[in-house]
Amino acid sequence: MLLRALLLLFMFFYLTSRTDSWGQKVNQFPKKTDPLHVKVELFDQLMRGNHWNEGAIMQHVIFPPAGLERPIVGSQADCLDPTSEMLAAYSHKYALTKDPKDRDIANQIFEAVLKLEEVTGVPGLVARSFNQTDEPLWHEEVLWYHEWHKSTSLPGYRWLGDLSSDKFTSICYGVGTFWELCADDAYKQKAAGLLDRFMGRVVDNNFKLTDLDGKMTMWGNFCPDLPHQPLNSLKMLMGLKVAHRITGKERYNAAYHMLIDRYHYDDEQLKAKMLFPAEWRNVGDDYHAARSLYMLMRYEKDRNLLNKYRMSLNRHWEDWKTINFDWESNIWFIMVYQTLTGEEIMTEERKKAIKDMWGFERQTREFKIPMKGGGTKTVKSEEEGTAAAMIRNYWFGRYYGLIDPKW
Amino acid sequence: MKKYIYALCFSFVIGQSTLAQPTPPKGMVYVPAGAFIMGSHYGDPDERPQQMAETNAFFIDKYEVSNAEFAQFDPEFKFLAGRENNAAIVTWHQATAYAKWAKKRLPTEKEWEKAARGTDGRVFPWGNYYDESFVVWDQKTSRGGSIAKPESPYGCFDMAGSVWEWTADWYRPYPGNDTPMEQYGETYKVMRGGSNFNDQALTRTTHRYYLHPEKISRYNVGFRCVKDVD
Repeated sequence: MLLRALLLLFMFFYLTSRTDSWGQKVNQFPKKTDPLHVKVELFDQLMRGNHWNEGAIMQHVIFPPAGLERPIVGSQADCLDPTSEMLAAYSHKYALTKDPKDRDIANQIFEAVLKLEEVTGVPGLVARSFNQTDEPLWHEEVLWYHEWHKSTSLPGYRWLGDLSSDKFTSICYGVGTFWELCADDAYKQKAAGLLDRFMGRVVDNNFKLTDLDGKMTMWGNFCPDLPHQPLNSLKMLMGLKVAHRITGKERYNAAYHMLIDRYHYDDEQLKAKMLFPAEWRNVGDDYHAARSLYMLMRYEKDRNLLNKYRMSLNRHWEDWKTINFDWESNIWFIMVYQTLTGEEIMTEERKKAIKDMWGFERQTREFKIPMKGGGTKTVKSEEEGTAAAMIRNYWFGRYYGLIDPKW
Repeated sequence: MKKYIYALCFSFVIGQSTLAQPTPPKGMVYVPAGAFIMGSHYGDPDERPQQMAETNAFFIDKYEVSNAEFAQFDPEFKFLAGRENNAAIVTWHQATAYAKWAKKRLPTEKEWEKAARGTDGRVFPWGNYYDESFVVWDQKTSRGGSIAKPESPYGCFDMAGSVWEWTADWYRPYPGNDTPMEQYGETYKVMRGGSNFNDQALTRTTHRYYLHPEKISRYNVGFRCVKDVD
């Protein structure tokens, strides 16, 4: 009887802890009531275990049977966002802990960003994402624009093109933070080389992100000769400032001042935040503005320009000060604002929002998978979103003393 | 006396041209024959060279073909309830079949661009500047539903933003363009007008994009039709 009970107990633990049947490597989720540092640790394990695509971080993973044993099936258009968030997270973490293991993880993530360039075969052209696969995967057709290419520089890989201004921001923010807080001399050189090739290509193409076909990408417009969003003026000023800081090359400083002196990007960026009509306020755009202002305002020393960037931050604050914390990055806006201005704005409600931060729930849903002969097959599978922003928020807050380690 | 003769001649010419302008079929506008400025010298390489191009006179739909209109042709066509008046998203072959059924055809690139920008070489259908209130945000908004409701010079709506629009043409270089592109040829059809989900520069009247006629992937691409003037 006892043996049977032990056997049942063993079977229960085996079945609930095994990691291969649905492709999950890590299955332990935190409880909502866990302390913040426990939640962060467990979500970190989930992200590195289940979302790690050779160092790049998957924003969304579909597990078998619709997915594969490796995390390369899912929406991948925005993978540079969680990748840069995890790169920033581990850079902030290393700056605090000085633990070589944390630096090693950051280095691996950075190497994946390098691979996003290498896989395209064009210096300075960075992919949105890559997969090691000889054959196209089913999600290429249906989960985003079909901008997948077979790599000629890395045989056996496929990559997603059509980089956007949002991912431009991710690259400059993530690599810039890594260079600033974590990279050793060798990696600082690699980071500077990458940003030089990336930004150099953008500048050479008249401030446009251009794709393999030579055309401007669907969201790649920072060009002074084309109508573009004021937010993109802000992003470009940030990119040039970071590139100048990291590479030390005068051409990026000259380009920065040309866009300001001749094309008034410093004035355009004041309208980066659309406040009215209220329904046009866009929290996604705010995220890119927050990352841009965070890098730009710490690197700029000119008082007049700093005033203009502060005015832009103030316009964002007009919305952020009453924002609902229904998206993980919203609370990061508050942390960025306090970091940049030095104003003490951490109310109890905002502290609670930080303590309540959460990653994702694993869900099950049906996927319509296109068949080779036409038509679709419906397959039920589990999927995961991303917790990278939460992990970044935590280490950012820890680094700037906004989060108590005991929380 | 001379003055009166000139005035008489002028009135005659104006009267003749007014009389000569045919009445467009319902839901269409008239675009007269003649030359216009096509392409741009500052956009993507495939928009070059800027050139003088010519079209015959034609009629063109005032709006993109709607879900409800497309469903009259294809009762199997599915769309979300409440979106009867939104632009239909279809493949090139579906669009072509609809046009044939409606005794119309898809516009050539030349016709599309002329209908969008008129003869003065403007960047957007309404002029040379961009304003968010001038465009339909995306396929969730019904046709002509922008705040400012601007028309093209000939009276078309939503030629910038809303959904991309199919043209009849294969993606080929303009005469005089020697920039190599492996996509040129008879694999991709040209779509125009941009979707405001993408960057606003793609809604310029001269912007070209290429897409496989059957594999529209996640692109919001619809169409409007033209009809020859007899």
